Amino acid sequence: MSGSKPDILWSPHHPDRYVICDSELGLYRIGPSSGAEETTATLLAINSDTPYMKCVAWYPKHEPECLLAVGQANGRVVLTSLGQTHSSACKELVGKEFVPKHARQCNTLAWNPVDSNLLAAGLDKHRADFSVLIWDVSSRMALDSGASANEKLRLSLAEADSGSVVTKPLYELGQNDACLSLCWLLRDSKLLLAGMHRNLAIFDLRNTSQKTFVNTKAIQGVSVDPHFHDRVASYYEGQLAIWDLRKFEKPVLTLTEQPKPLTKVAWCPTRTGLLATLTRDTNIIRLYDMQHTPTPIGDETEPTIIERSVQPCDGQIGSFAWHPSSQNRMVVVSATNRVMTDFTVFERISLAWSSTSSLMWACGRHLYDCAEDSGGGEGSAERDIATKMRQRAGSGYGHDTVQLWRNHLLAGGDDPQLKSLVFLPMMVTHMKLCAEDLELKIQGNKQSLVYSGIKNIVKTSATESRRSWSGSEWQTDVPRFHSDERCLALRLCGWISRGSDIDVETFLRSLEQEGEWERAAAVALFNLDIRRAIQILNTGASTAKGELNLNVVAMALSGYSDEKVCLWREMCSSLRLQLNNSYLCIMFAFLTSEPGAYDGVLFESSVAVRDRVAFACMFLNDVQLPRYIDKLTNEMKGAGNLEGVLLTGLTNDGVDLMESYVDRTGDVQTASFCMLKGSPVDVLKDPRVQCWIENYRNLLDAWRFWHKRAEFDIHRGKLDPSSKPLAQVFVSCNFCGKSISYSGAAVPHQGRGFSQYGVGGSPTKSKVTSCPGCRKPLPRCALCLMNMGTPVSHCPGTGRSEEKVDLTRENKLAQFNNWFTWCHNCRHGGHAGHMLSWFRDHTECPVSACTCRCMQLDTTGNLLPADSS
Amino acid sequence: MELHILEHRLKVLSIEKEGIQLCTHGLIKLAFLASKTRCKFFSLTETPEDYTIIVDEEGFKEFPQSEHISVADASWLALNVVSGGGNASSSQPIGVTKIAKSVIAPLADHNISVFMLSTYQTDFILVRERDLPLVMHTLSSEFTLLRVVNGETVAVHNVGVTNGFVKPKLVPRPIIHPLSSPSNMFCVTSLDPDTLPSVATLLMDVMFYSGGSKEAGASVEESSHICFFSFSLIEGYVSLVMDEQTTRRFPNNVLFTSASGELWKMVRIGGQPLGFDECGIVAQISEPLATADIPAYYISTFKFDHALVPEENIHSVIEALRTEGSAP
Repeated sequence: MSGSKPDILWSPHHPDRYVICDSELGLYRIGPSSGAEETTATLLAINSDTPYMKCVAWYPKHEPECLLAVGQANGRVVLTSLGQTHSSACKELVGKEFVPKHARQCNTLAWNPVDSNLLAAGLDKHRADFSVLIWDVSSRMALDSGASANEKLRLSLAEADSGSVVTKPLYELGQNDACLSLCWLLRDSKLLLAGMHRNLAIFDLRNTSQKTFVNTKAIQGVSVDPHFHDRVASYYEGQLAIWDLRKFEKPVLTLTEQPKPLTKVAWCPTRTGLLATLTRDTNIIRLYDMQHTPTPIGDETEPTIIERSVQPCDGQIGSFAWHPSSQNRMVVVSATNRVMTDFTVFERISLAWSSTSSLMWACGRHLYDCAEDSGGGEGSAERDIATKMRQRAGSGYGHDTVQLWRNHLLAGGDDPQLKSLVFLPMMVTHMKLCAEDLELKIQGNKQSLVYSGIKNIVKTSATESRRSWSGSEWQTDVPRFHSDERCLALRLCGWISRGSDIDVETFLRSLEQEGEWERAAAVALFNLDIRRAIQILNTGASTAKGELNLNVVAMALSGYSDEKVCLWREMCSSLRLQLNNSYLCIMFAFLTSEPGAYDGVLFESSVAVRDRVAFACMFLNDVQLPRYIDKLTNEMKGAGNLEGVLLTGLTNDGVDLMESYVDRTGDVQTASFCMLKGSPVDVLKDPRVQCWIENYRNLLDAWRFWHKRAEFDIHRGKLDPSSKPLAQVFVSCNFCGKSISYSGAAVPHQGRGFSQYGVGGSPTKSKVTSCPGCRKPLPRCALCLMNMGTPVSHCPGTGRSEEKVDLTRENKLAQFNNWFTWCHNCRHGGHAGHMLSWFRDHTECPVSACTCRCMQLDTTGNLLPADSS
Repeated sequence: MELHILEHRLKVLSIEKEGIQLCTHGLIKLAFLASKTRCKFFSLTETPEDYTIIVDEEGFKEFPQSEHISVADASWLALNVVSGGGNASSSQPIGVTKIAKSVIAPLADHNISVFMLSTYQTDFILVRERDLPLVMHTLSSEFTLLRVVNGETVAVHNVGVTNGFVKPKLVPRPIIHPLSSPSNMFCVTSLDPDTLPSVATLLMDVMFYSGGSKEAGASVEESSHICFFSFSLIEGYVSLVMDEQTTRRFPNNVLFTSASGELWKMVRIGGQPLGFDECGIVAQISEPLATADIPAYYISTFKFDHALVPEENIHSVIEALRTEGSAP
């Protein structure tokens, strides 16, 4: 191989030895170096006896080890050895030469893996001579018997004397042709696959006059997959072809062509279906994972291929060789200076994520299952949103349209954000009622106001009134603001209830019942009733165990005085920050701040938005209030905080807010329900909203929550009539081509093509079995042989008793049983109920002599819904 | 047997010795820098009279227009016989002898002019492109016809032209041209294309400067020593025909001569330039050789034809051909 690229061969039996051949042969031993992960190669021996090397093949048997056959540029094949203590068997063989009749380049060599004394050599073309010669290396015949005078003549005397030259091959194949690559087939050791000039040929040594061949350009580097003996790879320039010997007419697969010609192709001996390829002048090795995917439909399925590439070293790669036993390991030698890299191809990781949030991945021969940890106290907080949504969907979250507040409980009940949404439907209801009640003076679209939030409501001016502390002797008045809109806002915040009553006592009681003492106290205080606040705190301290703190706070509270400069005020404003309950904190902030400057209350982010808004509605003037509301709205939008819905309403602003909420949490479920429940139609048309809804539907489908999805669709159809799906299936009469739907004849009623059809007991029952257009009979059910349109329950033959019970019990099911159904493949069909019960026990079509496996063609038909209704 | 009709469309041209310097650039490129050109078929044969070049259309672009260059008007197609299947009789005659009866004689019978080029690897039978239907008709009975299209071999169905062809008269073919046999011996050999760069200067010397030491062609005739050299690079395969003396100038082990030590002597056909229209010349020579089972190479050039026969057979060959010539 003068000046040509190096090649590597692993020893077939020593897992730590390989040979690199370029202009000479070098035997290396690879072993762990002093470093932890590294390996080093030690040069054991060099053999430079054979010039003009073209190809090398390693003797496949244990003994003699390290015997190499070298093919030379003039066609001679020489047996040689490297650095071994020669056994007698080896000594006998080493130095043997096999000389073809006419000199030409030897392109390839292949030892027979079973009859290891057979060595096949592929030569270039020479006129009438053969290009595939199979030598018997154990043959002891020299020149005495068969060699002609002519043959003697062309061999030098010295060679003839030594008796080590063989000129008569055991088999001669491929006359007048060139052989570029060879390999013995693993399925039968008598078969030899040869890449000839423009064709691939399989020679059978038992009958050498016959050959199987196929014309192709891809004749270089033929190699058999060691794991799949009928699979062969070969290439031509940049094109790689995969052949199946059982179907040899054409390649089963041709891989994408590479811009540079290929130089080596090798199947991985340790991994099934992994093929490595190398092109010229590159530093990457391309790998192809070939998998046989048994698909039930069709014969023309191709193996699926995954292509990837690895870069074992920086320099250009001269050649590579898979390790014979170590998994996915190869040694790579650089093109120029014999830099070797020991390299293990990392196994492709395939990952599958089920819709029920369990994860599975496979790497090499390992399979990992990763289930979400469902146990543990704080598990639910860390759970993936998909799991949460699935649980919520399973428990019917969002579906309860009557008692809206229950949704919060259905959702699991401990998400403060979702809790705040409880008020959303209430708010909408409120708004609708309030709009009627108050006959708002604001001119404009009443409908739009119904869905808008506080932000839009509190825009009108309010009257200022000064109100004094109730039940106390202080003189200072606190300015408070009133208007109908502010009142409405307070209602929306939940502080005051519907109607003319503007007392907060009801609200306070409900808070007390829920044990929210601090909040109740704060609300009482903001309503300027400090005694009530202190009373609440006292009750709280006595009820809640160990909440001594509340008494202390009550004490502190009772010390309030309206003097501007005093010790109490000073201490409270500094020490309040140490209180860990934010409501207690804002109480003191309120008391210690100047009228109109309530930043300590308004920007305390851990206080519920609706309380802060209510507070703002009471104490901020017409200039401050909109500014504060705008600021808070933007803050909520930026954070995606659902509490902000109170401010934005379900307007376009609300969609923005919801968008950042979905971006943050991925909770399309809540988003879909909110938008669907409370939004006007034009907001529902927003592509974002449609996207959430569609994604939620897809999720439900993926979880096989088909009934839930259907419920959702029904619900959606009620709230958003434009979303009703159009009819997807129409049944037309075979004779007249008109729709057989009765109502369809008159009014184009869409979407209910089936269910209206064939309901037993209807007045038109007698006509139901014929086409309403032309009165011709409808096709017959393949099972009961009645014309379609006949109710299932009336079929005497096939109707099971239990089915009848079902029918009488559940009318809806009976309707479905009457539906038309048919196989798209064989076109046979009948009543849905009959078909279902047939395919429960059978795989083939019920029509005799029809072998269609209808049910197997239905990929989803065999799945069961996860939410049994 | 399969007959492959190769896809190369070939031109045959002659370069006068005086005009060779015009073409050296193209010739060197075609012969030694195969990667720089898309030419797939290149053959150069030097005779005392001229250089004959056979080249495909890609390679033809490398040659300039000059009065020193004459081009045979037609385009030629190369035919190649492949004996499909491995019939194990190992001692087959090689060269034109093998195809004399099956290809060359039938073509001669149908008055189809052929141009022969034997190489180390195989024999190419060049026919005019316009004669192809007739060629296919003539040979379809004997051969499986395969045509190479874009590198893929496809079967050709018989063109079905049966009418309009004159049934050939099967007449004996006397040898009508004078023969001569130079005294020097030749090697037909090849080398590994990878080693071509290492012997390129030597080959250039042999190709272009052979006439330097010798005088005009006339003296060559008198000394009955012929200056003949052929180089071809066809589909990546190198073939060389050269004087035995010349082979000694090559380094050891470069030429594929170590094992097949046969030497060949030449029979040169023609006193006047033969032209391209006369048919049957190859048949006249090859048929007697085939009868006598003597292997032979046959190389046509622009002006004359050359047959190479084993040196030990030269006398019997001359004998046989002379009797053929004088028979009628």
